[in-house]
Amino acid sequence: MNDLAVEVKGLSVRFGDFYAVNGISFTVRRGETFGFLGANGAGKTTTIRVLCGLLRPSEGLVSVGGISFDHNEQAVKAKVGYMSQKFTLYNDMTVEENLNFTASLRKMEKATYEQRRKELFDFISFDKPLNTLVRDLSGGTKQQVSLAAALLHDPEIIFLDEPTAGVTPASRSRFWQLIRQLAKRNKTVFVTTHYMDEAEQCDRIALMREGRIIALDSPEGLKTAAFSTPMLEFDPRGSLSFAEVSAFARHDVFLFFEPYGLRFHAAIKSEDAWETVRNGFEKNFTIKRIKPSLEDVFIQIVEGKAG
Amino acid sequence: MNGFVWRRAVAVARKEVYHILRDPATLGAALVLPVFMVIMFGVAIEFNVKNVALAVSDSDQSQSSRRLLDTFGSSGYFLIHHVSSPHAGITDVSAERARAALVIPPRFEQDLFAGRGAEAQVLVDGTDNSTVGPVLGYVGSIQNMASQRIGGFDPSPPYEIRTRFLFNPELNSKWFVIPGLTVVVMSILSILLTALTVAREWENGSMELLLSTPVLPLEIIVGKLAPYGILGIIAVVFVYVIARTVFGIPFVGHLWVFGFGCLLFLITYLAQGLLISVATRKQTVAMQLSMMTGYLPSQLLSGFIFPIASMPAFFQYFTMILPARWFMLIARDTFLEGSSVLELAGPFLALALICGLMVFLAARRFKRDLEP
Repeated sequence: MNDLAVEVKGLSVRFGDFYAVNGISFTVRRGETFGFLGANGAGKTTTIRVLCGLLRPSEGLVSVGGISFDHNEQAVKAKVGYMSQKFTLYNDMTVEENLNFTASLRKMEKATYEQRRKELFDFISFDKPLNTLVRDLSGGTKQQVSLAAALLHDPEIIFLDEPTAGVTPASRSRFWQLIRQLAKRNKTVFVTTHYMDEAEQCDRIALMREGRIIALDSPEGLKTAAFSTPMLEFDPRGSLSFAEVSAFARHDVFLFFEPYGLRFHAAIKSEDAWETVRNGFEKNFTIKRIKPSLEDVFIQIVEGKAG
Repeated sequence: MNGFVWRRAVAVARKEVYHILRDPATLGAALVLPVFMVIMFGVAIEFNVKNVALAVSDSDQSQSSRRLLDTFGSSGYFLIHHVSSPHAGITDVSAERARAALVIPPRFEQDLFAGRGAEAQVLVDGTDNSTVGPVLGYVGSIQNMASQRIGGFDPSPPYEIRTRFLFNPELNSKWFVIPGLTVVVMSILSILLTALTVAREWENGSMELLLSTPVLPLEIIVGKLAPYGILGIIAVVFVYVIARTVFGIPFVGHLWVFGFGCLLFLITYLAQGLLISVATRKQTVAMQLSMMTGYLPSQLLSGFIFPIASMPAFFQYFTMILPARWFMLIARDTFLEGSSVLELAGPFLALALICGLMVFLAARRFKRDLEP
C-alpha cells in the first residue's frame, strides 16, 4: 500500500494570465498532520480545492489516496472529507437533518450511519438534542458538528480550510484536541490556517507565498533552517522613542529587528559581530537568547525579510 | 460509481423542502402570491368600463331628448348628472367630475320630426384613452337603440352587420384575465425561486461543499428544481380550481393539452432560473434578472394585459422569443376555445424550441461551472 496520502507534482492553477498556484510539488504521508500556512491570496485555498476535486489543475499531477484525479474523481471524493471555512452547516436545518443529508449524499447504509453518528457525537462530546436547529448552536459547537459531518463516512484524508476562523480561543483549543485525536487514529489531516500556534501543532508545514511553496519542513526544521544564528529577545529598560527604535532596527548586526508585543525579536548575523556591539545594547535592554517562534520564521521567510 | 443516483437527488430535494418550509419569504411567495394575484385580477381589476360619469346639457327638454337620455341611463354604462349649459358640461369634464358630456341642442325634437336630421354632441375626455374606445363603442350602440325608441322607425341601412362574440359572449374580462394568470403565477414561482435557491448555495459557499461529495451536478439540478416545479404545478392547479369554481370560467379544452403546455413552460422557466443563478451567483442580482427576464415580460409582453397585435412591429417580433407569449396563447385557448394540440401547433412548437434551447444553455453553463 502506498504510504503517501497526497502526492502533488508541478501543480499549477491558472486563471487567465494569473497563476494562483505556480508549479508546486509536495507529498503528505498517511497519518500526517500537514499544515498550509500563508497570507491571504497565497494559493492555499486554491490548492485545497484542487485536492478535493473542485478545481481542475492547469498543469501537473495530483494523486489523493493513491488515486489520480484524471482517472476517477468520484473515487477520490469518497476517500476525502472536506470542511470549508465559509460554510459549515445549513442553519435552518436541525443537526440530525444536516447529518442525514450528508449521509444520503455519501450513500451510507442506515445502520452504519447511525453507528458512526453515535461515535462521532462521543468524539466531539455533543450532548444536545438531535433536533436542535444549527442556528441555535454556538460558533464552536457548530464547527465541531461540521467536523463530524466531514468525518461521517470515515474518510482517510480530511481537508480543513481554516476550520477555526471566527471561533473563540477556547473553541480553537478544543478543535485542535480533536485534530490530534484524529492523527492518533492514523487519519491524514491537511489543514490551512492563519494561526501560528495552530501551525506549531502540525507534523510538517508548507509556507506559501504568491502561489509557490517557499519552505516545507517540520516546525523545528523550519526554525533551524531560517535561523542559523541565535535569536535574541530585547526587553526595553525604559521608554524608547520611535527614532531610537528605528536606529536599532537599521543596525548592521541584525538580520531583522522586529517588535514583538512590548519587546523586540531580532536575529543576528554572526556571534562575533554581536559581541562587539552587545554592551551598547545592554544599556537600553535586558537581552536573552530565545528559540524562534513560527511567527519569526514567517517574518523571515514568507515576508521576505531575508531578501 | 459515476451514474445518476436517485437517493442523492431525493436528499437534495428533501433539503430544499426544509428550506422552503422554514423560509417565510419563500413560503409566502408560494402560498400567498397565487391567492393575492387571483383576488387582484379576478375581483379588483375590471377591464370593462362601467359607470362612466356623463354630464348632460339638455337644452331641448322634449320627449325625444328624454328618451335619448333614458337610453343612455338604462344602458348600465353611464351615470348621468344634469348641468345647466354645454359650457358647464365641458367644465365638468375638464374638472374630472365627468368623463364625457352629452350636449342636446334646442330644437332637437323639431329637427328630428322635420326630417332635417337631429344632432346631439358627445364630448369625451381624451386624456384617459383607456376609456375613449369603450365609450365610443357604447355611444354607437346607444345611437341605434335610441333611433328606434325615439322615432319609432328603423334607421338601419339596407344591410346589417350583427356581431356575436365567440367563446366569451358577454366579453367578461375575467374569462380573459384569469386563464392568463397561470402564466404570471408560474413565472414568479419557477424562475424567481429557482434563481434564488441556487444563487443562495453559491453565495454561502455550500455549493462547493456539496460538490466535494460524490453528488453529481445533474443530481443537484434535479433535486433543487423538483420542489419548485411541484410548487409551480400546485399553483397552476390552484388557479385552475379558483377559475372554475369561484369565477365560473369554462374550460372547454383538453386538460392534458393544457397540462402539456404547463409542463413545457415550467421546464423552460426552471432552466432560465438556473441559468440566471449560475451566471450571477448573487441573490440580489439573480432576483433583479429574474424579474426583468421572467416576471415582467410575462406580465407586460405576453399579451396578458396589452394585446401583442397593438404593439409596434419590433415588439411583435421580439415577443416571439418569450416563452410567456406562447404559453399565454395555449392557456387562453385551452380554457375558452378548446383547440387541439394540432391546432395549437405553432405555439407548442415555439415553446418547445425555446424550452430546448434554454435547457441546453442552462445545462451547459451549469456543467462547465460545476465540473472541475
